Formats: sequence, structure tokens, C-alpha cells
Amino acid sequence: MPLHLYIVRRFLFAIPLVIGITLVAFIIANAVPSDPVSANLPEKSQNDPEIVAAFRREWGLDKSLPEQYFTYLGNMLQGNLGRSIKTKRPVIQDIQQFLPATIELATASIITGLILGVGMGIVSAVWRGKLVDYVTRTIALIGVSFPVFVLALLALSIFHAQLGLAAGPGRLDVRITKPAVVTGLLLVDSILAGRADILGNAIAHLVLPSLVLGVYTSGLISRITRSSMLEVLGAEYVRTARSKGLSERVVVMRHAFSNALIPVVTVIGLSFGNLLSGAVLTETIFSWPGIGRYAFQASTSQDFPAIMGISMLIAFIYVGVNFIVDILYFFLDPRIRLA
Amino acid sequence: MTSSTFSSTRASVWRERVGQAGFILRHNPLVLIGLVITIIWVLASLFASQIAPYGPTVQDIDHRLEAPSQQHPWGTDELGRDIFSRVLYGGRITIIAGIAVIVFGSLLGSFVGAISGYLGGNWDELMMRFTELFLAFPTIILAMAITAALGPDIRNAVLALVIVWWPSYARLMRGLVLSAKTNQYVDAAQSLGASGRYILFQTIVPNCLSPMLVLTTLDIGNAILTFAGLSFLGLGPEPTTAEWGRMVAVGIDFFDQWWMWLFPGLAIASLVMALNFIGDGLRDVLDPRTRK
Amino acid sequence: MLVRLNSRRIMTLLMVLLTTMALSLTAAHAQDEKVLVVGSAEFVDSFDPARSYSPTPMMSLQVTYDTLVTFPADSADKFEPRIAKSWDVSEDTLTYTFHLRDDVKFSDGTPLTADDVVFSINRFKNIKGNPSFLTTTIDSVTATDPTTVVLKLNVTDPAILAKLVAWPFSILNSKVVKEQGGTDAADADKTDKAEGFFSTGSAGSGPYILESYEKESQLVLVRNPNYWGTAPYFDRVIFQNIPEAAAQKVALEAGDIDVALGVTPDQVDAINKTDGLSVYTTGAFTLYYLTMNRQKEFGGPLSDPKVELAVRYALDYDGFRKIAGPGAVTPAAMLPVGMFGAYGTDKAPKRDVEKAKALLAEAGYPDGFETTLDYPTYTQEGLNIETLAQKVVSDLAEVGITIKLVPGDIGTFIEKVRAGTVGFSVLWWQPDYIDPDNYLYFLPGRNGGTRAGWLEADAEPSLLELRDKALAEVNPDERLKLFAQVQDYWQANGPYAPYLQGSIQVGHNNNIQGVFRHPQWLLDVATLSRVE
Repeated sequence: MPLHLYIVRRFLFAIPLVIGITLVAFIIANAVPSDPVSANLPEKSQNDPEIVAAFRREWGLDKSLPEQYFTYLGNMLQGNLGRSIKTKRPVIQDIQQFLPATIELATASIITGLILGVGMGIVSAVWRGKLVDYVTRTIALIGVSFPVFVLALLALSIFHAQLGLAAGPGRLDVRITKPAVVTGLLLVDSILAGRADILGNAIAHLVLPSLVLGVYTSGLISRITRSSMLEVLGAEYVRTARSKGLSERVVVMRHAFSNALIPVVTVIGLSFGNLLSGAVLTETIFSWPGIGRYAFQASTSQDFPAIMGISMLIAFIYVGVNFIVDILYFFLDPRIRLA
Repeated sequence: MTSSTFSSTRASVWRERVGQAGFILRHNPLVLIGLVITIIWVLASLFASQIAPYGPTVQDIDHRLEAPSQQHPWGTDELGRDIFSRVLYGGRITIIAGIAVIVFGSLLGSFVGAISGYLGGNWDELMMRFTELFLAFPTIILAMAITAALGPDIRNAVLALVIVWWPSYARLMRGLVLSAKTNQYVDAAQSLGASGRYILFQTIVPNCLSPMLVLTTLDIGNAILTFAGLSFLGLGPEPTTAEWGRMVAVGIDFFDQWWMWLFPGLAIASLVMALNFIGDGLRDVLDPRTRK
Repeated sequence: MLVRLNSRRIMTLLMVLLTTMALSLTAAHAQDEKVLVVGSAEFVDSFDPARSYSPTPMMSLQVTYDTLVTFPADSADKFEPRIAKSWDVSEDTLTYTFHLRDDVKFSDGTPLTADDVVFSINRFKNIKGNPSFLTTTIDSVTATDPTTVVLKLNVTDPAILAKLVAWPFSILNSKVVKEQGGTDAADADKTDKAEGFFSTGSAGSGPYILESYEKESQLVLVRNPNYWGTAPYFDRVIFQNIPEAAAQKVALEAGDIDVALGVTPDQVDAINKTDGLSVYTTGAFTLYYLTMNRQKEFGGPLSDPKVELAVRYALDYDGFRKIAGPGAVTPAAMLPVGMFGAYGTDKAPKRDVEKAKALLAEAGYPDGFETTLDYPTYTQEGLNIETLAQKVVSDLAEVGITIKLVPGDIGTFIEKVRAGTVGFSVLWWQPDYIDPDNYLYFLPGRNGGTRAGWLEADAEPSLLELRDKALAEVNPDERLKLFAQVQDYWQANGPYAPYLQGSIQVGHNNNIQGVFRHPQWLLDVATLSRVE
């Protein structure tokens, strides 16, 4: 199948998923709170009949459920996810402000998690049954067992407060004036502003939180890498490669690993949701101004519209990430091209 | 969420594998360590009222924020409560909440999954697509949305986790039912004219129960971890309650008094680790690919 | 297969990146800007002087705007001229005439005139915002010439000058505020659209300008180039939001912040022992109290005056003081120790569990009852409100009252409290102006009373009479007597249980000098400087 056809097909598969997600979100938004008016409006406005009436009109609350759903969809297509109770701004604006920080953190963590996880996975597969395998797997298990918030606290306490080795909470030192916001991604914005000092500082602040989140993600990745490596290492073509007298390094890295990558890529897509759950906890502890922390603050202040908006956004991101993963398959798995 | 990719094992093969578990247990020290730690925690929280030197909510303002000592082996918190006693009692809530999530989640999930697998065809397709939708929402954030609407307390936190937990069990059960459906005894029951409901719940489901049971048990560690996370965020039990995640959250405000957050934090980590050690050992039995 | 990244291509990319960076480093000239960073737990409801009622804006407004009169930098003992260089009071104390300086300019260079003063006070009054009750005694304000403002009162008000010091009476650049949609018209509460502007900039004549505000992150002030007075030391002041006291301490130790406003009593020793850091400790007027709603619908059993009294007997006052550390005291009533006319600690309430139980039995709750207690997850001046709330739970459990705690975000919590729908809550009060008059707010018919469901209609006429007398009396000796009566009443009655008056601890780098605490405006960053 040619690439463009494959992409179109995958894209068509994603559409019902996206519609379904809006449906689930709509069901939760309608079924869960006892009263949508009190869940979605600040205390003060609930007593103002004008505001309540306007809210009912905006979301079609006086109409039938299917009609409400279409109003909801229509509002969403216009970028209207409701108005945050806490910040009193449209949720979409809040998300625009806080999303880049999370993207930066999530990307750094995925990279950290991949390096750690794939590394550990290969090591323990190649030396299967040896002490190294045992130790690596135990470390990975301990890594996934630690609550991410305890890991974050330990990291902050040891590396920042005690040893002073790592930068503390936040995305930048307080005294540093932020570069002009272009993309919202500090690493990019500081390069655009031509400020190497800011870039360095931003990276320093990324180290601890992305390490914490990376460890959290690496456990699953290392497990899958190990088992798929084991499978591949026993396969016919690897044995052939070995018998051709290729060095073990070449066999492992070129032949085995590239084929073992397929399940690893799947896991990245799947662990993305996990990563965002972890981001809520990590961002809260590291005062990282991303949507995880925003979601936490929204939930503690019973800011229902904000948290529904974020849930939906993240579900969409999840669909998007898995869409990309599907496309990666195309390059990784020859069977798809032949199908 | 669920940890294993397990689909097409037959019940007979299953029994053989469970038999191997004894072997693994003897030869994999990690499983043994895991079992011991788990049993210690379960016993400690069961007999908390006998072991704990103090009550979980007894305040002693004159001895607040004290470092670990003879009187208070794990120190005291901001109101002079004994951390050691609170951790012992705290296990009760965390462990029970973890089990409750698994039990209710697997009941709901199994029910949906069994029906979906048995009916097959378009119904199966529709129900599974619906189930998958829930998997697109990250666990903690969906649970946060639900607790934000219902108000924070233990029951709502468990309910929220059940809502995000059941879909993966539904998928699991569906897989088990699909493979069990091909068994001869199903054909036999059909030829005898048994009703669909009878076949599903009297012949197929019982044969899927034991693998389901083991796999869900392996998942308790995850459930505990997520519950502790919710509780840490203030979406679980109310603040006076002795509960591990909550205690860590309070400890953050008293960062210098490291014993306030470290001990409950290690409690969660050690229990989840122990459960994961067991799970990992058992997974070796179940998954032929990783077997040595 | 995988896209193979050409190694030459990577090198080229790296070279381009490095060259850009090197070029930019030479361009980025590090300025020797004098920057002060203050760490505190942010609490913002609005930056509009006419609407704001929370500490972070208070500290910002203090240095971005001026008021007619002010206090000395380190006390609230006497009134000093500010924009008004002098003032006259009429015989009947109902007319105040202010003579303004003629050399004051706003930050945009526009001269400040009497019209700006009139606009600011009228806007404040007509917006009917949270602090607008401060204007109830004002009948009219007029400009007779560009440097003269006449303020007429509708009733004698002994506290009027103290009120004029407070931030809501900030003098705004009327031209700018009008351009931003502001108005002082009678219907300003509906037509004024300037609130949003105040969190993006400032329009005052103070030593600083609000440069930017990022919610729950930081507030940045920069030097006002057109400032008419003595220029402050720092070019730029950053208020960094650090909610947890522990994190403030870490940031102070790391040198990330110069001043930490939320140091807890437990941290004082450790900070003082750290090289280069110390803690400034002083008493504060901050009063911590419980509110029990008088309306049965919200307060439930707590709406019964006997139960209210039982709660006052049930609290372990000594324990609360131990939590709050040295310097904390137990107030006698809803008037903090040290305020004019306030009772001393000798009249403080004492715990009596038996009496509390007896009162509960008398009220019909011999076995106690269950209720909920709302509190914000917030650290106020180093005191963790959640800790105090849990102490309340344990104290009241001893008399049979079982409490379920309901934590909330500070902003949402305050909104609920202001709506008057909370039954039982943990609150605290910092004076809006330094005069006992401010505390009559906690009587029926006044905002504090209304929020506690304590309505004028249900109150004894004698109490209302006492209230009005205390509000209007100008003779100091008579005032003392009236306030004694009010405090006696509060000790036996009323929906409040004041249990603690905290001390405050400000952690700072030793190279920072100045006034770290003022009873009115908390912190005036213009007084601070760094020893080189």
C-alpha cells in the first residue's frame, strides 16, 4: 500500500475515535455533576438569573440531550470549551498558555525514558539470565513501583536542596527575564531571541523533572524492549547473520534492534497517557506551569469546565500520538507495505 | 493499566502454568521477597490497632515535628501525631481502596467483556470501540474530572478509578471468552439446546475466571499507585485521615521534616514494588516468550 | 528502514546553531539591573484598587499608586502627608479639605490634579466592590481648584483618615483609566470595564509601574521613570509565587529569592543558623477565627448561639499558640491585641470542655453532632491553614462535635465565603485600615456580619445602637468605653470564635535592608535596598 493511502486510511480510522471521545466527555459532563449550572459557573454568578440564562442558552441546556450534544460539538468546533471558574478565562486560552510547558517536559521525558528504557532492555536481553539482566530488571521494577511524586520529592530534596547540583522548581531562574513568547516553548523561544544563557538555564531546569518522569516511563519501555529483543534474537535471520560471521555488535544493533523497535514504538504511543498522568504529579511538585499543574489546580478548586477541557484535549493528543505511531509502523514494518 | 498481553491461553494450558508458579517461586528470590513484604504490610495494617504505639489521629502539640526517636520511631507530624502509627493505619485505606478498584473494575469489565466476546460480530465491534474510548483518557486526569464533579472523598476516588479501570478488563475478558468459545463443551452445550445466557455464564465464564483472577491480582500494585496519586492530589480521603498518599502531600509543606513524607512514600513504594515483584515472576510463567 | 540521519547534515546543523548562539551572546549585553525577588504565596482577587481585597495586590498597589495621606514607613502611629501636603477639618468634623502638592506626575508624565482624586474616590464608591464599604460615610467629594479637594461626610467618622491611607483610595490617572473603559458614574458597578487593565499595567504616581503579571507565577514591577519622590533602590521587583513555606525556604537558601514572606515559626532557627540569612519576627494584627453561619440553612446546629459559645469554650487556645510559635497571642475578641481599644491577653478566653459539653446539652445536642468545616489550602504568613483546621477537628471532637474537613482553593473558597453560603469556615482577617472601627465590620448589618448570616433584622436593637455609636464617636475616651462594650458582647455572643493572633516571620538575605513589615500595607518594597 502506498504511504499516502495508508495515511488517509489511518486518518479515517481516527475520526470515529475523536467523535467517540467527545461523546464520552459529553456523557461525563452531563451525568456526573448533580447540576451543570452549579458545576460550571462561579458561586457569585449562580445567583444571577441573567448569567444562568445565558449559560443555558450557550450550551442548549433547555433542549433535548441529542440537541445538547450537537450544541456541545458546535461550540467545541469554534474552540469554545467553556470558561474556567478559577481563572475566569476561556479554557482554550488557558490551555494555549500552559500547553507548551507540558510539551517541552513530555518530550524531554520521552527521550529520557527511551534512552533509559531501550538501553536497559537491550542490556538485559543480550545478557539474558546473567547477573546484569537480573540487576537491570530489578532496577526497572523499582523504578515503576515508586510513586512519581515520591521520586520527585526525593530528587528535589537530594539533588537540589541538599547537594545544590540541579536547578530547582520552575522553568527558569526567577531572576531571568523570559524571552518574548513566540512558540511558548522556552528552548525554542530562547534560541529565537538569541539568548544562549536562557537556553542553558531552561535546560538545567528541565533535567530533574524530565528525569523523574523519564524513569517512570522507562520501566514499561525496558520490559517491552527486552521481550521483543529476545524474540528477535532467536529468529532465523539473526542466526543467519551470526553465522555469516558478523560481529555481535552489528548483529544486535543493526539486525535485531531495528526489528525489535516495532513493539517499542507501540509502547511509546500507549505510555503517552501514562506520561501525562505522571506529568500532573511531577508538574505540581516542580511548580512547572503546564497543563498538568493547571489540571491539578482546576480539580482542587472544583473547576469542572477547565478539567473537562483538559481531559478532552489530552484524549485528542493521545489519538494524535497514536496516529503518528501508526505512520511510523509504515516505515518500520515491511508487512504493512506489502499488505 | 493492565500489565499483560494475554489472550489465547486455554484453560488446560493454564493449569499447567499455574503449576509452574510453585517452581518459579522456589527459584526466583524476587517473588519470594515480594510475597514476604506484601504479607508484612497486610498483617501490619490488619493488626494496626495492636501494633501501633499511638492512635492514628491522636494529636500531641507539645511534641510536634519531632525527628525519629525512641518514642516516635518515624518521628511526628505537624500536630504531633506519630508517623509510624499513621503509616500502619494508613495501609488499611490504601490496600482496601486498591482491592476495591480491582474488584469492582473487573466485575464491570468482565461483564461487558464477556457479553461482547460471546455476542461477537457487530455488537462486539461496537462495544469494544466504546471501551477503547475510555482508554484514550489518561487515568489520573479522567479520575480528577470525576472527583472534581463529585467532590473529593475515598468513595468517589474509588468510583473514579473503577470508571477508568474497567475498560482494560473488558478487553481482557473478551479475549478469554473468544478463545473459550471454541471449546468443545460449548458446542456440546449448544447442541443440547442450552440458552445463550446459560452457556455464557455457566460454561464459558467459569473457565475464564481463574486467569482473570490472577491477572487482576497482578494489577493491584497499579491501582494502589494511582489511588495514592489521587489522594496525594487531595482528591481522596480528607486531611485528618491517615492515608499514605495524603501524608506525603502534607509532608511537602514540611519539606525539611523529611520523615513526614519519606516514610509514607516508602510505604507505598515498598508495597507496590513487592506486588510488582510477584507480578513479574508470575508473568514469566504466563508469557512463554520471556521464559528462560 | 529508519531514516538515516546523514552525519554531515547533523554537523552543519550544529555549526549553524552554535554560530547563532555565539553571535547572540555578544549581542546580549548583561545589564547591571538591580533586581529584588520576593517569594510569597500568591493570593489575588483583583488588581483594581476599587475591587481588590487580597494581600498580593495590596503590596503592589502600595508602590504603584499614592494616597492622599499615609503612615510613617515603619508604624501606623500618626498620619503623614502624601499627595495632600496638608488638610483642614471643620468644627463638626464633617468636612475635610485637602491641599494637594502641585509637583506630582503620573507614570506617563501627566500631572496629578484634584480631578483625578475626585474621579478615583467616586469610582471606588460607585463600583460597589468588595472594599467599597469603606466609602459609606462619604457624602461627596469635589474639586474646588486643581490643588484642593473637599470631602464631605454624612456622619462623623473617626476612622476616615485611616481609611484614606488604605489601597482602595489609590489615586488613579483618570485619563488612562477612562481610556481603558473606566468610569466614576453612579452606575459604575455595571458600566466600568477597566478591571482587566489593572492586571496588565498601572496608572498611578508611585515609585513603581506594574510591568507584567502572570497568574500563579510572578508579578513584575519596574521603576517609574517619572516618579516625583525619592527614587527607590531597586530597578525591578519580582513577586514570585511560592505557595509552600518549605519551598520558600529552599529558594531563599539557594539565593533565588531575597525575601521570603511566608516563613513558618518552625523554620526560624534553621534560617537564622544559615550563613547570610536571617528572620525578622514581629507581632501582627492578623486574626484567625472560625465563622459559624447564623442562618440555619447553612450553619445547621452551629446557628444556635449556645453552640457558638460552646465552640468558643471547646478550643484549645494554648495549643494554637504553640503551633503559631513565639509571639503569637490569644485575642480576647474580634479585635486584635494592640489595636486601639482592644482588650489585652488577660481577658483572653480559656478552654473549658465541661462547660462546652453542658452548653451543647442545653442546646439539645447532648451527644454532639456532625458538621463540615470549609478551609482554603493556603499558608497565611507561615501558618498552614490546614494544620489549624485539623486542630479544630481534634478540639471539637472532645466535646462530641464530629467534623468533616472540606478543603478548597483559596480563590474559590473566598468567593463562597463572600457569598455567605458557607456554614462553618476557617478564616483570618488583616485590617483594611488601622483603626478599631474596621472590626465593627463583624457586627450585624455590616459585611462581616452578613457573610456569617448575622442579619440586622435578627439582631437586638441595643446591639445595633451600640454599633452605630461606636462607628460615629470621635472622642477617644468615649470610644474606649464603647469598644469595651462591643468586646464584652462578642465574648458572650456572635457567630465567631477568634482563637489566634499570629506573629509573622520574614526571612531575608542579610544584604537586604529596610522595613520588612508594616501593619497597613504589609511590605513596601520601595523601602528596601541591598548593601553592596
